[in-house]
Amino acid sequence: MKKQNRTGSRVLIGLTFLFLYAPILLLIVFSFNAGDSSAVWKGFSLHWYTKLFQNRLIMSSVYTTLLVSLLATLIATVAGTFAAIGLYSLGRKRREALLTVGNIPMVNADIVTGVSLCLFFVAFFQGWGAFAKWFNSIQSAVELPDRLVLGFGTLLLAHVAFNIPYVILNVAPKLRQMDRNLMDAAQDLGCTWMQAFWKVMLPEIKPGIVSGALIAFTMSIDDFIISYFTAGSASSTLAMTIYGMTKKRVTPEINAVSTLLFLSVLVLLVLSNIKEVRQEARDRLGAARKPSALERLGQKAGEPRFKWVRRGTAAVLACAFLLAVTVLARETGSRPVVNVCSWGEYIDEDLITQFEEMTGIRVNYQTAESNEALYSLLKSGGADYDVVVPSDYMIGRLLEEDMLEKLDYSQIPNFSQIDDRFKNLSYDPTNEYTVPYTWGTLGIIYNTAMVDEEIDSWSALYDDKYAGNVLLINNSRDALGEALLYLGYSVNTTDEGEIRAAYNLLADANRRGVFQGRVMDEVFQKMEGGNAAIATYYAGDYISMVENNEDLAFVIPKEGSNWFVDAMCVLKDAPHQREAHMWINFIASAESNLMNMDYIGYASPNRVALERYPAYYEALYEEELDPEIYNIMVTPPETLERCEAYLNLPAATLNLYNTLWTQMGVE
Amino acid sequence: MSKELIRLNGCTMAFDDEVVLDKINLSIRDKEFLTLLGPSGCGKTTTLRIIGGFQTPTSGDVLFGGVRINSVPPHKRTINTVFQKYALFPHLNVYENIAFGLRIPKADASGKKVKLPEEEIGQRVMEMLEIVNLKGFEKRRVTQLSGGQQQRVAIARALVNRPKVLLLDEPLGALDLKLRKDMQNELKRIQKAMEITFVYVTHDQEEALAMSDTVVVMDAGRIQQIGSPEDIYNEPQNAFVADFIGESNIIDGIMRADGVVEIFNRRFQCLDGGFEKDEPVDVVIRPEDVDIVPEDQGQLRGTVTSVTFKGMQYDIIVDFYGFKWLIQTTDLSPVGSRIGIKIDPDGIHVMKKSEYSGMFGDYSSYSEEYEEISDASYALDEEESGDEE
Repeated sequence: MKKQNRTGSRVLIGLTFLFLYAPILLLIVFSFNAGDSSAVWKGFSLHWYTKLFQNRLIMSSVYTTLLVSLLATLIATVAGTFAAIGLYSLGRKRREALLTVGNIPMVNADIVTGVSLCLFFVAFFQGWGAFAKWFNSIQSAVELPDRLVLGFGTLLLAHVAFNIPYVILNVAPKLRQMDRNLMDAAQDLGCTWMQAFWKVMLPEIKPGIVSGALIAFTMSIDDFIISYFTAGSASSTLAMTIYGMTKKRVTPEINAVSTLLFLSVLVLLVLSNIKEVRQEARDRLGAARKPSALERLGQKAGEPRFKWVRRGTAAVLACAFLLAVTVLARETGSRPVVNVCSWGEYIDEDLITQFEEMTGIRVNYQTAESNEALYSLLKSGGADYDVVVPSDYMIGRLLEEDMLEKLDYSQIPNFSQIDDRFKNLSYDPTNEYTVPYTWGTLGIIYNTAMVDEEIDSWSALYDDKYAGNVLLINNSRDALGEALLYLGYSVNTTDEGEIRAAYNLLADANRRGVFQGRVMDEVFQKMEGGNAAIATYYAGDYISMVENNEDLAFVIPKEGSNWFVDAMCVLKDAPHQREAHMWINFIASAESNLMNMDYIGYASPNRVALERYPAYYEALYEEELDPEIYNIMVTPPETLERCEAYLNLPAATLNLYNTLWTQMGVE
Repeated sequence: MSKELIRLNGCTMAFDDEVVLDKINLSIRDKEFLTLLGPSGCGKTTTLRIIGGFQTPTSGDVLFGGVRINSVPPHKRTINTVFQKYALFPHLNVYENIAFGLRIPKADASGKKVKLPEEEIGQRVMEMLEIVNLKGFEKRRVTQLSGGQQQRVAIARALVNRPKVLLLDEPLGALDLKLRKDMQNELKRIQKAMEITFVYVTHDQEEALAMSDTVVVMDAGRIQQIGSPEDIYNEPQNAFVADFIGESNIIDGIMRADGVVEIFNRRFQCLDGGFEKDEPVDVVIRPEDVDIVPEDQGQLRGTVTSVTFKGMQYDIIVDFYGFKWLIQTTDLSPVGSRIGIKIDPDGIHVMKKSEYSGMFGDYSSYSEEYEEISDASYALDEEESGDEE
């Protein structure tokens, strides 16, 4: 009986650890996958690590993350240590009260900290703007900048702010353990306060400072929510970039970078544990016991002849700090810059390098995860973008709210190469504000091995035949749009009855268990791995799926579909107008469009690029482009005629969409 | 008599309106062993910290060799301190603890900061280790040492800097009785050998009497008496000193004339004078100055109510007209027996009525009070250390 129990508990422990570590293991394994699927293993390769180090967006955000974590840790450790010393010199009651107040930010929800910091910074910037304008108007000797925005500075301040309590929390107990007379004794023996601090207090509280710094550093690296609210447009941490990239799909580069992140945090953890063992060893030595080998090592490190270890560490830290400062100085230098916000995995990054080399303008390339997120970011006033790339209906909304600047097309000669089909579209009827970036269509992707007919209608999505094998797109506009089309209505209808009819169709199928689930990025994994038969997604993404699973087919149903355009716009009062125009013109060129089309798989709006793409493909890959693939990528005009673009819906309709979509989730 | 080294002139110390020291005047001579003695909270540690430079008096002057040093920080005074609980640096070994002060660059005559050569440091540290009997311990961690050894390191660490004055703040408080006695002799020996001034703080009167050249009895922020151990013991200036130093019976009396004091309506010969006629006074009688005689020969008659065997003598408590006296005697008088007592004129100490006489009425309040004082100090220590955790 007993034995059985023991086996049982062992199995339980095993399962617990499996549950804890299997996901990370899987991630590490797939970071070495030769293919780009997260479901299909195509052999071992370091390909994604190579690509990772070539990926500008990720590398620059890794760099930002390290820089902000390092600087924030450094500042917070110094500030927190002295704050703890200050607290320690107070009376007990006041000290405890202040410590309690100081600890609140740690237990506070990150979201509250993030939002409040963002609010605070924006409010401060407004106040500062008014002051600077007044100050500049009364004198001309010093010109104060009157337009401050969220950026690296605010990100750093936020990180320092949330790190300080962790340092205090770790240093305070060491101070309490310290004999109060030690500092007096050192001063009695000839030290000034500062000397006594370095020679006596610091060695005593060092374990607390080190563990505080380590925790602060991991907290900084880890943080997403607070960074998200305080980084603004100019900086993006790794976590933010990864989140932005998921708009399209989780690329295996993310697996690679996550693996590296996991390993580096692991190293930090091991380091701090060794430190603890050493400390314990030292404490236990008082019991006059023969020290173990590890303990002796710990002891040795404290002896003068091991000074080089400490000096080495100090030197490395100093170098890192210097590097950080120089790069920071470079980043904030007077070099012209353009701030671009687009979507993850939505540009061939060589284009950024080319543009920078050609013009000397630095491109600050950031990503947002959805049109709606971009909209709220712009509305909050924290962002400082020059160029954004929203989708058609969102452009309509931004224009309605007067948030876009008229473009000077004389500075964008490449606009003439844009196909007439993509000019003067409904969202910008006189084409004064936009230059198209890509376009594409929504369609049905299905697995021919699991579906024995040729699908040509949205009806397949609601068919009991495929119950449990249909993936519904997790986006109210697309999901309801498909149903509207199937019912023969417009995707832009504002008629409540029509919309409710579409909803009933979905809700009914849902009740019958037709849908396996509602997905966005998971669609790649599910379809590539053959775990679902039917899904709806964008043509450009089908191209990358079919590379991993040849059984997949794409169709634009006979009832028609949605087609979309993402276009470049300049925000009202953007500070870098000239640079923004140069960037748009550069991206609109046939060469840039070819590179982008090949890289992201979405169709180009550039007439010349569209014509030249098959030849470009052949020259690049030394094989002919499958015309069928080309036809899916670049929807032929006769198919496109069946498709309808989304318009910006009135608020009442948007509300109805939201209500119905949430309601279906509850049912 | 050697010349004056330190002088406190009207030093007052107040924290948030709470007066801890009240206009202290104190002169400390060169090469003397001076002890500040008093119960917890009497201001003795504060006085020490003022001399050490850790606190600046609210008012009054601190003079060192005739120069005002009120605002001179501790590291610029040629004074070193042995702290309560030693305050050794746990991250350094014995050698490095002692060498600590020597490694701080000091300004030479021209004002330039100079470091001592390592050789000289080694020599001086070894010299000190020899003086405090710790040769061969230099590589030990201080956390591996016993209390007495840590004590010696603390003394060596202070003395290696060759201070003119060594301040010791209850240095033996954490040691057990046997070790304490040894260290008392040791300290006295070191002081003689080094020929420097020791200012010693303690609440242990025995320690004070055994070691000091001069004892300063303090209470409630004031100096109660300054004198040699013999003076303090034999000629206490007020009831507090009498009570705090040794054990005493303090009785209300009336001064009828010079050399005549009335207790319990009986007149006793004494050596004191200078009081007004019929002035109410405190009369202090040491328990060992009372002779027991047969009942009919006694100046006073009473009943023995309790006997405690103390090894060298018996402590007996005798009831005289409802007042209880402590008497120390080598002769056993059983409980319940009637005895008489005789007191020689030099065994009677008459002093002006003080605020203490009410509190320290008889022997029992004395001993209980003493326990309370020491208990209170321990309770206070605990509170402080609790505060530090």
